[in-house]
Amino acid sequence: MTIHINGKAYSLGEAEYISVNNALILHFTEPQKTTFAVALNGDFVGKADYDSTVVKSGDSLDVLQPIQGG
Amino acid sequence: MSLTIYGQQLTSRLLIGSALYPSPQVMKQAILASGSQVVTLSLKRQNPTEQSGQQIWQYLQEIVSQNNGHLLPNTAGCKTAKEAVTLAKMSREIFQTDWLKLEVIGDDYNLQPDPIELLSATEQLLNDGFKVLPYCTDDLVLCQRLYDLGCEVIMPWASPIGTGKGLMNPYNLETIRLRLPQATLIVDAGIGKPSDACLAMEMGYDGVLLNSAVALADNPVLMAKAFAQALQAGEQGYVAGVMQQRQTAHPSTPTLDTPFWHQN
Repeated sequence: MTIHINGKAYSLGEAEYISVNNALILHFTEPQKTTFAVALNGDFVGKADYDSTVVKSGDSLDVLQPIQGG
Repeated sequence: MSLTIYGQQLTSRLLIGSALYPSPQVMKQAILASGSQVVTLSLKRQNPTEQSGQQIWQYLQEIVSQNNGHLLPNTAGCKTAKEAVTLAKMSREIFQTDWLKLEVIGDDYNLQPDPIELLSATEQLLNDGFKVLPYCTDDLVLCQRLYDLGCEVIMPWASPIGTGKGLMNPYNLETIRLRLPQATLIVDAGIGKPSDACLAMEMGYDGVLLNSAVALADNPVLMAKAFAQALQAGEQGYVAGVMQQRQTAHPSTPTLDTPFWHQN
């Protein structure tokens, strides 16, 4: 299957799904040391739900981090 | 005299952005020099191998801790209510605040807020417990609708974001102030000079939110101080009560006992 994280495609072979937690490891080497929040297909996913939320083929994760703003 | 935002009293009436400064160090110095206790910031995709976002985040945390301040996340870049609601929830989780500068942009050319999507997002977010500070145009009826939905703070623009054109339509802003006397009104966006901020305060506005005017100044730290003083001057001018304009000249110096050559 293929998923997208911040627009970048990740191919995950024959897997049917992975958890948000496992998807984050594809994006960050050390997610626990970074400040971020997650949306799956445009809907917010709270930290408490990273283990139980499933990412399937074609899904898009957005992983956002703090930045300066006006 | 203090500014109250959703029950929270603040000593400064200036809200300031954290973007566009020449360096993180200048950003920190300028924000602290401004005396502002409300600092806006945002969320974006970032390259996971870069640590710049994390460093900025640490700087901003230091700033708000130093000035007993508050973070005000924005929803910059959102074009629909759904996008804004999702980003708001992400911001609340990261920044641990239910304050939100709500931006829903309807036009790419002048970054004008979309009033329909803004109202929809405002209603959803207020129902979800957010304390919404909506960025909107200087449209009286839109501001009334936002107030009726439950926004205690409303932030009409002075002019489009980043233009520095100042108060494009003073009549509209004055009318909003007149018609919504109970609302906390903050002029947001388009401020260019300290005198723009002073004028907004002289109209009775409760505060000013700006970013580019300080960050893009030749000397952002000095400009931050200038804005702090301009807001104070404008507020004191409003409280003191500005004199009525008159059509004809009136001598300031008493005319009684003027010298003899004026008496014929």
